Amino acid sequence: MISNILQIILDVASHDKITTVIIGGLALPAYNVARTTLDIDVCIKIESQEQLNTFIEALKEKEINTKQQPKIDHDLFTVFGKNSEAEIWLKPCDAFQWDDQMVDKIQLFFGDVYVLAVEDYILTKLARSDRSSIDNDDVLKIIIANKDSLDWDYFHFRIKWADLENDFKEIVKAFELDFNNNIRNISRDILDKLK
Amino acid sequence: MSQEKGKRAPIHITLADIERAYKKVKEFQRLIERGKTPEQIFKDMLRLIEIDK
Repeated sequence: MISNILQIILDVASHDKITTVIIGGLALPAYNVARTTLDIDVCIKIESQEQLNTFIEALKEKEINTKQQPKIDHDLFTVFGKNSEAEIWLKPCDAFQWDDQMVDKIQLFFGDVYVLAVEDYILTKLARSDRSSIDNDDVLKIIIANKDSLDWDYFHFRIKWADLENDFKEIVKAFELDFNNNIRNISRDILDKLK
Repeated sequence: MSQEKGKRAPIHITLADIERAYKKVKEFQRLIERGKTPEQIFKDMLRLIEIDK
C-alpha cells in the first residue's frame, strides 16, 4: 500500500484501463531527484466524457469525491479522501495535451506506479504557465542526475515542439556559468551533449 | 503543440542556483549509496504529504 488515496486512484484507473502517471514533485524520485512537496498530482489519459464520468463514479464508490464537475477539456480536478486530497490532471501539463509518443514512452517506476519519460517530464516543468523557480531548479537537478540516460535527440525534438527553445537557452546558460566558474566536468559534459 | 496559455515568467538562474542543484543531486546519490531506493524515497515523500494533510 503506497497511500490510501493514491492507491485507490491507481486501482480505479487500472480497472478502467486508463493510462495513469504520477507527475509533479512526487514523481521526482523516479528521476533520481527529491525535494519536499505537499501535493499528490496524478495524470490520466481520458478518451471521452463518458469514460471520465465512469472514472469519477468509481472513485465516489470508494469514498474519493470531487466537488467539481470535471469535463474532458478541463486541465485538472481535485479529489478528496478522508484525510487527503489529490489533483487529477487530464493532460500532462496545462500547456500541452497527451500524444501517442508520450504515452509510448511512459516508464514503470515500481509496482503499479508509472511516470512520464524523463524528457517529457522536464517539458511539463518548462512549459507550465505558472512555472516557478522551483520548476527551474527541478529541471537543473534532473538534467544533472540523468545526463547519461537522457535521450537528447528526443529531448531537443520536444523542446522545439513546445516552442521552448528560448527558455531552454537560459538553462544552458546555467551550465555555462557553472563551467566558467567551477570548471566542473559534468557541466562540460552536459554542454557537449546539448550542442 | 496543441495549445499555449499566458506568458511564462522568464527563467533567470544564478551561479548559486546551479551549485545548489549539484549539491541536491549529490545528497540524493548519497541516500542511494546508503541503501535507500527511489521507491522508498517516494513512499517517504507520500507519508510526509499525508501527515501534513
